[in-house]
Amino acid sequence: MTVEHPALALRGLAKRFDGTIAVAGVDLDVPAGSFYGLLGPNGAGKTTTLSMAVGLLRPDAGSAWVLGHDVWQDPVTAKRLLGVMPDGVRLFDRLTGAELLAYNGLLRGMDPAVVDQRAAELLDVLALGDAGRTLVVDYSAGMKKKIGLACALLHGPRVLVLDEPFEAVDPVSAALIRDILTRYAAGGGTVVFSSHVMEVVERLCSHVAILAGGTIKRVGTIDEVRGGRSLEQVFVEVVGGRTATGEELSWLSQ
Amino acid sequence: MALPVSADATPAAPVRSVSARHFVRLKLRVMGNNFRGQGWRIALFVGGALLGLWFAASGFFLFAAPGLTGNGRYAVLIAAAGGGLLVLGWLFLPLVFFGVDETLDPARFALLPLPRRTLVTGLFVAALISVPVLAVLIASFGLVLTAWSLGGWSAGLVAVVGVLAGLLLCVAASRAVTSAFATMLRSRRVRDLAAVLLAVTAALLGPLQVFGLAALREADWARLTGVATVIGWTPLGAPWTVGIDVAQGRVWAAPVKLLITVVALGALLAWWSRSLESAMVGAASAGKAPVRRGVTGGAVAQLFPRIATWAGRDRFGALVAREARYWWRDARRRANLITIAVVGIFVPVLINVTGGDFAVEGGAGFTAAASDSSPVVVTISMVLVGVLAAVTLANQFGFDGSAYAANVVAGVPGRVELRARMTAFSLYVLPMLGFVAVVLSFLLSRPEWIGLTIGGLVATYGAGLAVNSLISVLGAYSLPETSNPFAMNSGAGLAKGLLTLLAMLVSVVVAVPMVVAAALLGDAWLWLALPVGAAYGLGAALLGAYLAGDVLDRRQPELLATVTPRR
Repeated sequence: MTVEHPALALRGLAKRFDGTIAVAGVDLDVPAGSFYGLLGPNGAGKTTTLSMAVGLLRPDAGSAWVLGHDVWQDPVTAKRLLGVMPDGVRLFDRLTGAELLAYNGLLRGMDPAVVDQRAAELLDVLALGDAGRTLVVDYSAGMKKKIGLACALLHGPRVLVLDEPFEAVDPVSAALIRDILTRYAAGGGTVVFSSHVMEVVERLCSHVAILAGGTIKRVGTIDEVRGGRSLEQVFVEVVGGRTATGEELSWLSQ
Repeated sequence: MALPVSADATPAAPVRSVSARHFVRLKLRVMGNNFRGQGWRIALFVGGALLGLWFAASGFFLFAAPGLTGNGRYAVLIAAAGGGLLVLGWLFLPLVFFGVDETLDPARFALLPLPRRTLVTGLFVAALISVPVLAVLIASFGLVLTAWSLGGWSAGLVAVVGVLAGLLLCVAASRAVTSAFATMLRSRRVRDLAAVLLAVTAALLGPLQVFGLAALREADWARLTGVATVIGWTPLGAPWTVGIDVAQGRVWAAPVKLLITVVALGALLAWWSRSLESAMVGAASAGKAPVRRGVTGGAVAQLFPRIATWAGRDRFGALVAREARYWWRDARRRANLITIAVVGIFVPVLINVTGGDFAVEGGAGFTAAASDSSPVVVTISMVLVGVLAAVTLANQFGFDGSAYAANVVAGVPGRVELRARMTAFSLYVLPMLGFVAVVLSFLLSRPEWIGLTIGGLVATYGAGLAVNSLISVLGAYSLPETSNPFAMNSGAGLAKGLLTLLAMLVSVVVAVPMVVAAALLGDAWLWLALPVGAAYGLGAALLGAYLAGDVLDRRQPELLATVTPRR
């Protein structure tokens, strides 16, 4: 059945907060096995869209399917297939890294022996083993991202949804995260992630969607979206940025 | 790219200086923005203001009574005792029950080039803008009325000065003490010490009340007036009694007492300013945690604390283990556990040792009252303790904040979630309650009442868990993500109060059968109370988890949204 269903399908997702429209009807099909980048400027509605897609935020309208399972009608099955790393959300950070992984694993009904073995491997690969008994609240920003990724990967999900996985991460950790994601995608998994770092998206993604003002502006394979130009050029054109003339802010020069 | 930079690197002097006015306007603006588009918040605020006014009015008439009746004999007593209780209330209530309104979080000012004096004055003046301050102001003007009617205009004017100084003292005391305790609870080294200190300080409230009430009962008014005169010379009573002193012809006392108040105020502000600095820096870095080595066992073995090793290595067990760790590691939750311990001891002692009098015509002193306590009174006091313990869970999801997203993403069934949370909390609370029951029975020299006390406690606690589970799912609210465990969002203090009140009322109603049984069944109940109470409590808790779990399943995302702090 996975052959006919996209890994993630969104239809008409919409959300409004206190009168402002955050997301105004997003349709998206993420093919199974793809590496999908969701691009957009700050405030474009990326986090809201992804939260609605994974069951963290109830949409005002529209629906989301994970491999054919409706996230809002059949959440148990859909959530089993999903691995999620939300952004701007705390972890249970008064646990140590190992404790946090064990908690998440058991919470998903995994066998304790498997949890132990995978947690040890993940901590080792992500270079978090040295942290020992340090609580996650005392981790650096990059370490927090890595332990969040480990939590999302632990139960071997079919679809991985990551919100800003490369934000506030140093180049070494970013390279590590990139490697792990590439291996995961090569093994048949689907990755959807949001970002506004063009360079990473161009390097990793097979498909791209550009979101601005709560709607999808461009969507397709990365070559279709680029159309022979650089992704950054397309992005700035779509989003409609302005360029400084040099006249303003003259007081900045000493 | 190297541009010539002028050698003069000192920054230009600011054109305008920052004053307390800016802090006041900032606070009003933040409060106003919190209300925007949130009808229920405005309603809560108005409700709280009315409640405050009601208290203010009753306080006013109490303070004004000597003036209105024209009888100056008890004026000093009322002013000193009432004013002293006000200061003590401002000191302890935020620590034990309510928390402080941290609309203006000091850490937000860390990067601004503000002198410490400006910052402290600004935050202090901003702290004065609140409903409780207004209520106390209104109430204490009863003292002004008394002084004016007893001693004319001059006494009234001095009383105004005194009352205003006293109000400043109240606010400064509450800020200084909560800030100092917050600093201590944050620091990893003295955290446990702070917890013990807090417990002891709060526990002192109990005996103080016992002795106070016992003294009242002895009713030697002349001697009490003597005590009040002494209190009037401490910072607790000084500001409140100056007006009466002038009215009664002790004009020389007024400047001395005002000086005492000002010195105390200065000391408190200096103390606050010191801990404030550490709060500001503490937000940036809480210091490096010691890297504890010696990790034994796999990840799963590490998750389970000793208190929860019995739990299965499954979903339920993981939730229990995580909650058990959180009750210990999270400063906010620890503060709540300490409160339960304190309240659990002083409420029953208060009711049975002193309050027994109100139920039974007895009267002379401590020991007589103790033997006058009855099974009904004991059961009522146990009901109160059980309700107060369970009400801690009324906002259990608020403690987690946005971290609760992990449970939503994992799709944890609501019933498992709630049962696990009840279990983990009970791991700490049930032993405490058992201790209270045993101690109380021996304190009353009625060891045969142990079954009665434990039965009553467990039944109410279980019923309270059930009620509070439902409330925690339906009425959750977010707590600020600051490092101050006493901090509340503006407006949330009131929401918290009303919610707590509601939870307690419903829990008491659910626990009424235990009191009725104690009243009707007589001696047979002494034996039946334990098994029946335990069954009642367990049954109620399980039923509560069953019903509230169903609600939780349907509103997990909404719950997550309400407990996520707005940024």
